[in-house]
Amino acid sequence: MSRFHPLTVTELRRETRDAVVLTLVPRDQDRALFDFTQGQYLTFRRDFDGEELRRSYSICAGTDEGVLRVGIKRVDGGAFSTWANEALAPGMILEAMPPMGKFFTPIEPEAEKHYLGFAGGSGITPLLSIIKTILSREPGSRFTLVYANRQISSIMFREDLEDLKNRCMGRFSVIHVLEQEGQEIDLFTGRIDAEKMTALFQHWLDASSIDAAFICGPEPMMLAIAASLRDHGLPETRIKFELFASGQPGRARQKAVSRQAVAPGAGTQATVTLDGVTRSFAMPREGQSILDAVIAADLDAPYSCKAGVCSTCRCKVLEGEVEMAVNHALEDYEVRAGYALACQSTPLTDRLVVTFDE
Amino acid sequence: MTDTMAIEDYLAQGGVLTAPDNAPARYRGELMRMMSTFVDSELAGSAGFAASINLAPGIKERIAASRITLEKADHAERVLEVMGSFGTDTGRYQSQHDWAARVARDADLGTARGAGDMRLSVFHYPLQGWTDAVVMNVAMGLATGVQLAELSRVSYAPLAEVFRAIAPREARHAELGLEGLQRIVATDAGRAEAQAALTYWQPRVAATFGVAGSARYDTLARFGLRHTPNESLLGRWQAALAETLGPLGLK
Repeated sequence: MSRFHPLTVTELRRETRDAVVLTLVPRDQDRALFDFTQGQYLTFRRDFDGEELRRSYSICAGTDEGVLRVGIKRVDGGAFSTWANEALAPGMILEAMPPMGKFFTPIEPEAEKHYLGFAGGSGITPLLSIIKTILSREPGSRFTLVYANRQISSIMFREDLEDLKNRCMGRFSVIHVLEQEGQEIDLFTGRIDAEKMTALFQHWLDASSIDAAFICGPEPMMLAIAASLRDHGLPETRIKFELFASGQPGRARQKAVSRQAVAPGAGTQATVTLDGVTRSFAMPREGQSILDAVIAADLDAPYSCKAGVCSTCRCKVLEGEVEMAVNHALEDYEVRAGYALACQSTPLTDRLVVTFDE
Repeated sequence: MTDTMAIEDYLAQGGVLTAPDNAPARYRGELMRMMSTFVDSELAGSAGFAASINLAPGIKERIAASRITLEKADHAERVLEVMGSFGTDTGRYQSQHDWAARVARDADLGTARGAGDMRLSVFHYPLQGWTDAVVMNVAMGLATGVQLAELSRVSYAPLAEVFRAIAPREARHAELGLEGLQRIVATDAGRAEAQAALTYWQPRVAATFGVAGSARYDTLARFGLRHTPNESLLGRWQAALAETLGPLGLK
């Protein structure tokens, strides 16, 4: 199960107008836990007005730098990223889970590979970690980065990348693509789409020389780049993806729980939404789980262990209350947010509204 | 480049998810279901094959059976680890069911599964003797090859990577089975026994591909969790089976 550990913020550097870079130090006894692989991320948690939010941010340090560092770009309406950019200060403690994620390829010191990376905005964060690590641990390999931003002032780690370029002449190159500012070469202005990718491959990149590609950015950019890489002969197995979490809502919605008096003995009128389809049916208060009642109502709910262990049948209670017999899978904050394991839940109220779609 | 799109549209267009936080609720449920089907089937397959080690006629076969037993458990563990990243209590999960339990040999389960135990129905049937175990391993091994080729394209990248790593080792299991089967069919009696076993296992392995025109398939395809319909995968397996067993005089 996940475990959070305290990290002390020892340094906070303002990277751009709306992005900060934090240097974090674990306690001595947690040091080994926070050893990371390039490209991994940390998941933080923090309480906002009684509501726990969890957010993941990629590590931007290389594995040989001996520090733990993450970049946090402020997202409009994002509670955690705004707080990190405006209120966080050195000396404060953050709680984080040990590094996770698979956005890396194994380091081979003898390798002589050509890596290609694509970053959109703050998608640069894990790529910086990967680039630094590869340049330091694979002396025979080289890296080409295509980095998309709106404008020059929003480019994160611009100086770090320049430094790397100067230190690793011939092994590291960056192509900046700016959406709003014209550059000398038209190719480097605009967005990275299918057309731009084709042009890049025509004039700047030799597709046949690429051993592996990394892509981190928003969804449309990931789709366009992946499709183009495939068209240029790079198989899916040699493309590594990291989708940054645009799907995360800024603030968890308040759960709607009606504290109705429990009418003893009576049944429950259940309303269940699954795959956008809502169905209402009556079910007993005892002796039948919500999952079994849903399946009996011909709704194809997902489940597997039926023992409260696997969390396949996780659903959200929107109205009414349920009681879970066993819960080995959901964490406290999920339960507080209204999530329940359908296989272990029975209704406590005469009306119950549940969704499997949230 | 901060423009985004609905995660459902992204998936429908072939997008890849990379962390549990990316996964929408329904996607998560279906993904978990696929993973537990795989984990439970591998654990049940491993448990079933364990007993065959002592039926092996020679050391070579004994080593092959041991390796299959070991590696199938290892494959279950790798996928269970991915489930763990979504909140599954992995310690409890593996002790939830009696993985060696089997139904009667002549029971008819069709494509049905036991409550809570998500192993494919074929893994509920008992093995009877060495030849039976070898034939089942070859038939199911070829099916696993077809199914893993499909699963290696799953839109949840960390899982697709696990399946890609597992696929060649599972293919080796089928090869080991085939080597054993070649020795068995060297005699007429052996071939007759193998044919009887094949007649028993063929429809049961076929059932693991699910029903044609499955409604769940459409949901899974929209999520990028599936790419080829059940009936096409079944056809691929039937072709592979004929190609592999035909030369041995089995059908």
